[in-house]
Amino acid sequence: MKLTSKPLAAIIIVILFGGILLTANLGWFQTTTTKIPVTYQSGEFIGQYNPVDIRGSYLFSDIGNLFDVPITDLQAAFLLPAGTNPASYAVKNLETKFASSGYEIGTASVRLFVAFFKGLPYDLTEAVYLPKEAAQILTANAKMTSEQATYLAAHTVDLNQPAALPAATMQPGAAAQPTVATTRPATAGTPQLTPGATHVAADRTVTSKTTFQEVLTWGVPQASIEKVLGGSMPAASTVIKDYLAAKGLEFSSIKTALQVEVDKTK
Amino acid sequence: MVSGLKKYFRRKIVIRPFVQGFFFLLVGLIAVNHTLAETGASLPFLSNASLHALCPFGGVETIYQYLTSGTFVQKIHQSAFVLMGIGFLLAILFGPVFCGWVCPLGSIQEWFGKIGRAIFKRKYNHMIPPQIDRWLRYMRYGVLAWVLYATATSFSLWFTNYDPYFALFNFWTSEVAVGGLVVLGVTLLGSLLVERPWCKYACPYGAVLGVFNLFRIFSIRREEGICKMDGACNRACPMNIEVSSVKVVRDHQCISCMECTTEAACPFADVVSFSTGGKKK
Repeated sequence: MKLTSKPLAAIIIVILFGGILLTANLGWFQTTTTKIPVTYQSGEFIGQYNPVDIRGSYLFSDIGNLFDVPITDLQAAFLLPAGTNPASYAVKNLETKFASSGYEIGTASVRLFVAFFKGLPYDLTEAVYLPKEAAQILTANAKMTSEQATYLAAHTVDLNQPAALPAATMQPGAAAQPTVATTRPATAGTPQLTPGATHVAADRTVTSKTTFQEVLTWGVPQASIEKVLGGSMPAASTVIKDYLAAKGLEFSSIKTALQVEVDKTK
Repeated sequence: MVSGLKKYFRRKIVIRPFVQGFFFLLVGLIAVNHTLAETGASLPFLSNASLHALCPFGGVETIYQYLTSGTFVQKIHQSAFVLMGIGFLLAILFGPVFCGWVCPLGSIQEWFGKIGRAIFKRKYNHMIPPQIDRWLRYMRYGVLAWVLYATATSFSLWFTNYDPYFALFNFWTSEVAVGGLVVLGVTLLGSLLVERPWCKYACPYGAVLGVFNLFRIFSIRREEGICKMDGACNRACPMNIEVSSVKVVRDHQCISCMECTTEAACPFADVVSFSTGGKKK
């Protein structure tokens, strides 16, 4: 059986678009991720969606649907200007929006906001900042634990009053937290963190950006890491959080266990 | 006059550039629409899917993670899996037609190649010594292994940082990496010297589809008994395959462009065809 170019062209187009059409009707041709966050695997909130899995591609409407957080609250909390459609606003855009503010307000801030809004447990060992407007909404909502409220007070920034000192100073007794300096120079025109100290995790602290290589460099044997993971360690250059997310594991608990191993080597 | 002589001048497969142009425009418009969608101004009648969602190689990249964790590599979606399956079906039937007829990166290399051909005339596409070229052709399997390993161990679309296809349709966004732009630039400049350099030497998806050439159903077949051995088929092949030396083209580099067939380059009727191995009716 022979085939010439024109029938071949027609067959290619029919198979390609026919295949797409068929699979779309079957619900298989999905060009976006089915946004279903991981759930808490244990504890009081077992089975509930965990805000730690909120990703940059999520829209505010996704968060509203999944976590039952009013979109208007998200809009007000993250200072979306009038005229912006908050439902179609992607979380990843926040980083750009607040880039000039001097504060790293982005996806992690949304995760924190949602967790505090719902009164859900959240890892408080990392410095994540929220605008003052977000803090006001959370305070009014009154679902935070006292520990979360204390954390919030230390990690709230006022983006509208550049001359004022931010409330984001470290609390006494928070030695395990990353070292952050948040004193704003009085002459600054825009909010800024002290140069050289911007959101840098303290040495030997496991954060969301830490790789397995760093933990190895800090003196933790591979065997200890694998014991924590409950399996073999991937390539050393892998970011721990990315690895755990891909495996559907919760970062905060593994991180705590790894931090214990790191602290043992001091 | 030689019996069976159909024509004395080289013809082209007329429909193929139209199909290539169509897919180039379609993917380009979808990529632009994806950018527009992020500003809330997308065109409603056109998909605004991300390029990752429409790349069949994304399906290949995520196979390992899907089998081991049941999840897709970040930014890869189920549609990439579907397109991978469709690509494989086409390849089983017709070989890598995706490369020769659909892939926009292949198409733009061909278009740049026309400039190169005009400049270098007969030297074009024959600048690399065959003994070196022959081995370089296997380099894309190394790239494939490298990409799959890096993706499996990093749990991310590591190849995006070097992918000229992604760079081609994202050069206006902040998502594109410098590495991708550099590889794209080198590929397009290389196209002025060599036909489809990325496809020949580096494309990991081409490497996957190339394997199907070994057992595809429709193949390029040459009738030895009536072939006049004038070499027209060899000269027409963009992938430099010696069509005149085989009965059935099983070369892993064939892209099923049909330029060597009697419909195009071969001047003799029924000598080189795109057919199954069955008996003639």
